[in-house]
Amino acid sequence: MPVEGPFILVNPERCLGCHTCELACAAAHTEAGTVIGAVLAGERLQPRNHVIQVDSVKISTQCRQCEDAPCVKVCPTGATYRTETYTAVDQRLCIACRLCMMVCPFGAIHMATATVAGRDKRAAFKCDLCVDRPEGPACVEACPTKALSLRYPREVIQQATQVTARQFLEALESQQQLASNP
Amino acid sequence: MTEETYSEKIMSRSIDPAALEMLARAEELGFETAWDRLEAMLPQCGFGELGICCRNCNMGPCRISPFEEEGPKVGVCGATADIIVARNLIRMIAGGAAAHSDHGRDIAHTLLLTAEGKGGGYEIKDEAKLKALAAEYGIETEGRSKEEIALDLARAVYAEFGKQEGPIQFTRRAPEKRVALWQKLGVDPRGIDREIVEIMHRTHIGVDNDPVNLILQGIRASISDGWGGSMIATELSDVLFGTPTPIRSRANLGVLKADEVNIVMHGHEPTLSEMIVAAAQDPEMIALAERYGAKGINVVGMCCTGNEVLMRHGIPIAGNFLQQELAVITGAVEAIIVDVQCIMPALGALSGCFHTKLISTSPKAKFPGATHIEFHEEHAYDIAKEIVRTAVENYRFRKPGQVHIPDEKTECMVGFSVEAIVAALGGTLDPLLEAIKSGAIRGIGAVVGCNNPKIQHDYGHVRLLEELIKNDVLIVTTGCNAIAAAKAGLMLPEAAEQAGEGLKGVCQALGIPPVLHMGSCVDISRILVACAAIANALGVDISDLPAAGAAPEWMSEKAVSIGTYVISSGVFTVLGTVPPVLGSPVVTELLTQGANDVIGAVFAVEPDPFKAAKLMIDHIEEKRAALGI
Repeated sequence: MPVEGPFILVNPERCLGCHTCELACAAAHTEAGTVIGAVLAGERLQPRNHVIQVDSVKISTQCRQCEDAPCVKVCPTGATYRTETYTAVDQRLCIACRLCMMVCPFGAIHMATATVAGRDKRAAFKCDLCVDRPEGPACVEACPTKALSLRYPREVIQQATQVTARQFLEALESQQQLASNP
Repeated sequence: MTEETYSEKIMSRSIDPAALEMLARAEELGFETAWDRLEAMLPQCGFGELGICCRNCNMGPCRISPFEEEGPKVGVCGATADIIVARNLIRMIAGGAAAHSDHGRDIAHTLLLTAEGKGGGYEIKDEAKLKALAAEYGIETEGRSKEEIALDLARAVYAEFGKQEGPIQFTRRAPEKRVALWQKLGVDPRGIDREIVEIMHRTHIGVDNDPVNLILQGIRASISDGWGGSMIATELSDVLFGTPTPIRSRANLGVLKADEVNIVMHGHEPTLSEMIVAAAQDPEMIALAERYGAKGINVVGMCCTGNEVLMRHGIPIAGNFLQQELAVITGAVEAIIVDVQCIMPALGALSGCFHTKLISTSPKAKFPGATHIEFHEEHAYDIAKEIVRTAVENYRFRKPGQVHIPDEKTECMVGFSVEAIVAALGGTLDPLLEAIKSGAIRGIGAVVGCNNPKIQHDYGHVRLLEELIKNDVLIVTTGCNAIAAAKAGLMLPEAAEQAGEGLKGVCQALGIPPVLHMGSCVDISRILVACAAIANALGVDISDLPAAGAAPEWMSEKAVSIGTYVISSGVFTVLGTVPPVLGSPVVTELLTQGANDVIGAVFAVEPDPFKAAKLMIDHIEEKRAALGI
């Protein structure tokens, strides 16, 4: 059975649009690991997620970690790849051809300047779920309103089935009560 | 270009045809404006919108979770949302009061220099007002020259800023009941600078942590602005430059001329704009302009410094706050001359895309991409001439292919100082009082404030004004609202046709517009003086009057100070954009309900101008009923 990959879920009702997740994401992908440290060291701060506004609703967007990922399919150099649980970009191989950016239905990939092996080059940037970070995704940890969470598909399904199953049982129970106390 | 060809995006940004035309032009040429920058700024931080972030000390930044039973409810020092919101709000008041009052100080300084014979070209134009003010200050006028009187007056007014124990003289123009209330509440200001400094002290880490006590200090500082710094700016400007009387002019970007040197004066203090107006009429400058192939020198205003010279000289006004960038994009502006307040730093880069020179003049305000020609009152005329010369010499670099001036310019009648209104009424307030008592005029609406790209440009202003006059509410206005009204044609006696029957009759009998231009944003002090005079004539407090205020498109800290002194003077005020206070239930309740029992007026927030008009009219009717009229 394949291993299930997690993804980041955003609850738009909780997002205040403060951009803290963007800052945390950018900081987590620097050597310094903090915003101020990165600024002091002259490191680039580049978020992999984006907080946007749709009408009056604020929402964070990032890679959905597609299992059949179009970005991986179109990559001519193998820079964009998928492991068992997530997709990522190896910026050493990336030629910034933008194909992945074009085919991503979520607009979750963008091109920016990266420093790779001491050299500045244009490359694709996307969420990598902070796989090398023991505490998990920096955005989830940083969100002050807990609008972001790291979820597993099975867990989401289980939660949903639990809720509806409980409703069903409650409905049944009330019907029985009705039957016994007409 | 006809309106139908504009995109939905452009149409959503303004109701002013000239602004729409220039916004389309900006998009075509790829120039960014405040509207684009707001779009890029979305979403704006919810913590900031709620007012619940605090950066007052370096244990922070702290922010309070707005969600129930979750996240931090106090900052590192223990400050609650209520404390943080109150502190942040009164710091905004401090910023606004400081801006207005420093403007007042500059005018007092100019009067002092003029009295000492060191003013580089200024003179005392309104001797009657000088003497009236001197009498208020108990300064001897008999057998003394105007310079001698002015010297004493300037020193007495100068002292108001550094006073420790009050009172500020002009606060005593308020009805006795109002002053007694201020004294009872402990909000009668002791000195203009002192109240601003005390806000900064109280909001420092670990000082005042009672939201109500904090707000009371905000009220005290705001009164020292409205009845202090701003009123000083207005009154002394009248002494130096003349008290405005009704005069006709034109408003909107169409006042720029294709074949003349165009100089846009933008900012706030009339000390500079008055001299630019004079220097541009210098035959030497006009000859120079002609030598460069221009037909003349066309000086126009923008924002409040524009209002100052519009009121006093009929200098046409090119637009309000959100039109500053649009004026540059016409490609026809040789120089945009700025001093202080409401000047977008974006003007520097934008001017760089044209031949336009952005000329900064104040030692207090420098801008990226600007040419700095520092203005000092002692050499005012000479410096103004140098600035005008710089503009004229720039005419030859204008690129005809870049020039695109909209046709729109609307006639307006402006210049309604309190003195001018009384004169229009035949020398006494009685006809106005009678019209209010008879119900021909239901009440007075004071509509003021900025532009804010969060609200469709001029929509909040114009629709509210139209709705109010339709319901027989006479309007007094200043600042960017006044400019919106002028552009919309509401400042013509003919606009009485759009008013209700009662107001229409009064306007037609007096030959005045239904919307009266009272000046720049410091001139809201004129509205206070008018309210005090009406209240005194009726023997009531200002809070008893059938009057209501509104700031439909406000954005600046000055507007926060204004709103606060207006409600502290007893006038119910409707705001068109939400101030950053909603994170505190205590402060929100105080400002929108509780304050009524304390100072006899509250704020309401209503972005829809039609609903805002209803709130104001309902309030006016309530006050009429209480007065038994």
